[in-house]
Amino acid sequence: MNSLFHTNIRQPLMVLLLIASSTLIANAQDSRIQTASLDHLAAKASESVDVNVDERLMKMAAKVFSDQDADERKIKKLVEGLKGIYVRSFEFDASGQYTDADLESIRTQLRGPGWTRMVNVTSKKDGKLEVYLLFHGDMVNGLAVLHSDEKELTIVNIVGPVDLDKLAQLEGQFGVPELGIESQKPKAKNEQ
Amino acid sequence: MKEDYLWDKTGEPDPEIQQLEEILGALRYEPKPLELPQDLLVPRRRRNHFPLLAIAATVLLALLAAGLWLRVRSRNESPTQQASIETATPRAEEKPNETPKSPVNKSAVNPSLLTARKSYRKRSAPSALPKQEREEALEAKQQVMLALRLTTEKLSLVHKKNQSPSNQIKNQHRVG
Repeated sequence: MNSLFHTNIRQPLMVLLLIASSTLIANAQDSRIQTASLDHLAAKASESVDVNVDERLMKMAAKVFSDQDADERKIKKLVEGLKGIYVRSFEFDASGQYTDADLESIRTQLRGPGWTRMVNVTSKKDGKLEVYLLFHGDMVNGLAVLHSDEKELTIVNIVGPVDLDKLAQLEGQFGVPELGIESQKPKAKNEQ
Repeated sequence: MKEDYLWDKTGEPDPEIQQLEEILGALRYEPKPLELPQDLLVPRRRRNHFPLLAIAATVLLALLAAGLWLRVRSRNESPTQQASIETATPRAEEKPNETPKSPVNKSAVNPSLLTARKSYRKRSAPSALPKQEREEALEAKQQVMLALRLTTEKLSLVHKKNQSPSNQIKNQHRVG
């Protein structure tokens, strides 16, 4: 039996393990942030936003952006390469409706390999704002914004190659505010 | 003496013992290979691949089942792919005799989001998509716009805070 295992089963088993591990690695590299742990906050929130646009919907949406309209063309170019946009936002009437553990469940994922916290802003008025980028080599392959205020919690997650130049071009269009975004060069990662 | 012949064949041979030797000699050991009767021979076993095939089939079935399960799960989750803006409770200032509205249309929803939605719908490009697919695409487009709007709002806030020297800013801080 032992020899049977070593001669006949070992090779296919190794192949299967290889496939399984590569799948796990691929999932681990995914820049999608899981926000299911925050579902319970929806009941407490006075207003909640839940946007889940996966790659299929993203492609569908890209079909109805007009090529004639310059503004829509820019947005189309931006979303064409993306694999998903996910937003969870909760606004509460009272403070203290979410806990540190809720935030930690998100931050834990953002401490994963590849993620870099690019910005961390804290203010009394607007709470804490964090911007994370997922680098795959020199490419930005994901973006996450975490905004935690006394009465608000928002997580924005863009999956896929984010072109910050194109994102910056959206400023002032379709109600998108002026951002003053500058393209993040990969060297920023090395400077830390 | 006779007993010596019995034990080690030395001394005077005993005729009785010699006679016994002759009788029993037919049964003495003769070294030769074992020859089994032809009808008892078992045909040489072929290499059995059945266990391997069974294992491979089981693994394949498991992978298929996992794939199906993931697909079904993602379809079940598809309702969440609709952007939803919900309000938990009606506002105190709302009149009690007002007819109830759907959660999305309640005044508690940030009106700017809805305004933005309407403007996107007006701008949507005509296409040759089937009606149902087109509706889904338009809905997806609205969600994308809403998500982009929220994203850029937050990034704008970050930018403003970055400009302000009084805030505690820790830019480009590596985590993980």
